[in-house]
Amino acid sequence: MSQKGRPQDPAELVAAMAAGDSREALSAFYDAYASTVLALLTKMLGSRALAEETMQDVFVELWRRSGEYDGQRGTVVAWVLTLTRSRAIDVIRARTRRYEDRHLQFSERHGLGTDGGRPDVLASSTRWHQALRLAFDRLSDDQRAALELSYFVGMSHGQIADVLNLPVGTVKSRILLGMRALREVLPVIHRSMQR
Amino acid sequence: MSALSDDAELLAALHAAGAASEEDEAALEQMLAEDPDLEAMVTEFRDSIVAVASSVEPIEAPGDGLSAIQQRIRAGRSSWTDWFARLFSRKTS
Repeated sequence: MSQKGRPQDPAELVAAMAAGDSREALSAFYDAYASTVLALLTKMLGSRALAEETMQDVFVELWRRSGEYDGQRGTVVAWVLTLTRSRAIDVIRARTRRYEDRHLQFSERHGLGTDGGRPDVLASSTRWHQALRLAFDRLSDDQRAALELSYFVGMSHGQIADVLNLPVGTVKSRILLGMRALREVLPVIHRSMQR
Repeated sequence: MSALSDDAELLAALHAAGAASEEDEAALEQMLAEDPDLEAMVTEFRDSIVAVASSVEPIEAPGDGLSAIQQRIRAGRSSWTDWFARLFSRKTS
């Protein structure tokens, strides 16, 4: 509990929301996750205005579904970002029907498979954000591109193979290798942050 | 822990990355039902990609964002559909 008496543990906040607390618990939950949700939505949707609009939908849905959260199945941040991504994909698909166009739009905004060339952001990052981005940047360009198209653009392996003009097996392999590399490096980052 | 097959690992990775086809998802569901150990691998992959998602530099949320959300929630509370939706979600959690 904080000094103000409201729960700060993420799972407790979600439980309080599920119990109907739309003031203090929702406020603390919003304070904890709004900036991360907005960042992911802005990256995926490419528009701050659209991201802010979608963020409202995301938080209303998180509120409505707070009773479904199961701590056994993952962390609160995983639950929040999974739902955020899902809503963003809905918006992307509704606005851009052809996946080929979605690929082009994302590539133009971020430079597919690159670090996006954002030195300003890197300079202002926390160590945690820098370490995570570094882990992602250490993947090969091919692996990073495949993961960006699947996770941030919502394309299946077949669609990725189509737009990159690659065999499906190659795309699957790049995704698997990229995911393996991330899975291996994250515990290392966690340990180094605790030192 | 059982020895998970290469196929299971691939399906878990594709699922977590959001790249799985409907057939992949169905196959993974079946494997999960047959081998509960696979769930741990799915969770590890999911946590990995979520970490990447959360590494995007945070953006300060608008000051009036919370009040707009609370307003929508209050408006929704008065509707029977919202009440039923919340009741149902608690019973199934």
